[in-house]
Amino acid sequence: MRKNLAVTGLSIALALMFAPLESFAQPRGRAAEPKAAAGEDVAPEETVEVPEGGTPSAEGEPAAAEGGEAGSLDELCKIDPENCVKVDMNAASKRDIDADMYAVQQIWALRTNRFEINPYFSTTMNDQFVAHPAPGLALNYYLMHWLAAGVNGNVYAGLNSQSDFNFQTSRAARIGQPITEYQWNVNANATIVPAYGKFAALGNFIFHYDFYVVLGAGAISTRPTAVVDPDNRTFAYSVKPTFGGAMGIRIFFTRYLAAMLEVRDYIFWEDLENPSIASGLNGVGKPLAQDPSTWLAPDSSFTNNVQAQLGLSVFLPFSWSYEQAK
Amino acid sequence: MRTATMNTKIHSFAALAGLFAGLAVLVAAPDATAQEVQISGPLAGAKAVRRVRLHRDARFDIAPTATFTLLDEFRRNILFGARLNYHFTDWFGAGLWAAGGISYNTGLGDELQTKAVDGRNCADNPNTLACKRTAVSLCRGADCLGKSQLGSIVWMIAPQATFVPFRGKFSVFGKAFMDADISLFVGPAIVGLNERVDCTKGTCATTPTNPDAFSTAGRVAPTATFGLGFNFYPTNYAAFGAEFRATPLAWNTSGFDVTGDDAVDSNDRNFHINPMVSIFASVQLPTEIQVAD
Repeated sequence: MRKNLAVTGLSIALALMFAPLESFAQPRGRAAEPKAAAGEDVAPEETVEVPEGGTPSAEGEPAAAEGGEAGSLDELCKIDPENCVKVDMNAASKRDIDADMYAVQQIWALRTNRFEINPYFSTTMNDQFVAHPAPGLALNYYLMHWLAAGVNGNVYAGLNSQSDFNFQTSRAARIGQPITEYQWNVNANATIVPAYGKFAALGNFIFHYDFYVVLGAGAISTRPTAVVDPDNRTFAYSVKPTFGGAMGIRIFFTRYLAAMLEVRDYIFWEDLENPSIASGLNGVGKPLAQDPSTWLAPDSSFTNNVQAQLGLSVFLPFSWSYEQAK
Repeated sequence: MRTATMNTKIHSFAALAGLFAGLAVLVAAPDATAQEVQISGPLAGAKAVRRVRLHRDARFDIAPTATFTLLDEFRRNILFGARLNYHFTDWFGAGLWAAGGISYNTGLGDELQTKAVDGRNCADNPNTLACKRTAVSLCRGADCLGKSQLGSIVWMIAPQATFVPFRGKFSVFGKAFMDADISLFVGPAIVGLNERVDCTKGTCATTPTNPDAFSTAGRVAPTATFGLGFNFYPTNYAAFGAEFRATPLAWNTSGFDVTGDDAVDSNDRNFHINPMVSIFASVQLPTEIQVAD
């Protein structure tokens, strides 16, 4: 009797054990070969998951299991007539479906409604005579995943440096190249992120990146460096309007931290030192060479200050919720 | 009664023991089966990337290139050439890049010609202070800087090894997709330069007895080259992209007597990293592509 009861208990347990095990042991649908329309490529990682018992149709959609869904429902109804669900499969198959399908779902580093704090350091790329390195900071708010509004600024003061090339050229050719130094600039920007993707490093570690472009306008404070007549000329900083654009790449280490490299062109009309020294005296008997109105060249110079900006981007908040299921 | 109750308890205990024993097996067995799932999710053990199209593995890569030098001081160079690589694996290849081309004055070169050469007219005013002080470093005559003084890169040959550590795909506004990779390359390089001919003190200035003090000649300079490329694959057998290349080299780009010793020689050469960017369209052969597991 005791033995029978023990056996009964074991049998119940074994029944419970094997029932879920059978479910666990169901073979997963084998991934079908990616199918593509003629001339169309399928992304490398994309596969078509086949439902259990089904095979993919020619169009890549899973075909019904043998017997069809109607057959399966009939079998269920036989087992449990009270809860039988009647579905007109023909009518159901003809109903309109408003399905939203996304080419890329649940972007890993979503930018929508997030702030970007972007400290960076920049260096001059297109001026062989004087360098204008500067620390900078950009702040952006992403209105959409691909569009942000923000500001940025650079502080050049104290970091402008003349190059050896400037000295060598001036001495060998006896020419004085007008040079300037920058103090600061600030800009309001629109950032557009048209392209993003992911890379696998050595086929293992996957990182995400994006390309972006920036359009901006603002102000820059600069002054000429007295080269032609440093004995008489001392220039004060003056503010000029500036505009320009940038292209950059961001590589995400986490969903909120990225490294960025940007090439930006700050365009403005620059005042340069007058290469000529005025002679004679003005109306009050003061040498014209000491008259600040004679120190600047008559025409402004169209200037492209191209900078490489390397830094980090921190996105806030650190986490978010997706609206769509994965 | 006591015995019956006891027996019932014993029986119940035996049934429960059997049940718990079975449950223990039940819990243990799926645990073992689901071990991978519990550790790292349903993709446990899966490759980070599957079914990658192997654009490079066991294929030749043939690409005509147009190369533009960057940050040029006095002469800008445009080199037209070709790159031929064979990739032993999808991440490693070897090949050769060769190019040759033309050069022209930069804005600074033109300004120097206009203001310092043409403006001073030292041929007719040789005794002015500026002309005397620049006699060793500036030629005389129309367009003389580009013709007889300024240095330029004429050609380059670079056997190079190519590594492709980064492979992925690229989306534009989430609609259009392309395979892409980032390649790194490095190798020796042989650079053909056009440079001002060396001269010793007393022979570097143009005089009636020394009219050819300013002239250029070719020099072959061995060095190294390295860089990285961005490659995009719109089809299985064609690609396009851009490469950023540096070729460190000491040369005299200006033809000046830089050191001020009234001679022009190797001491007047400055070190330049010589950055340049190449754009290319390439074809991968054979055209059939392999796909990874």
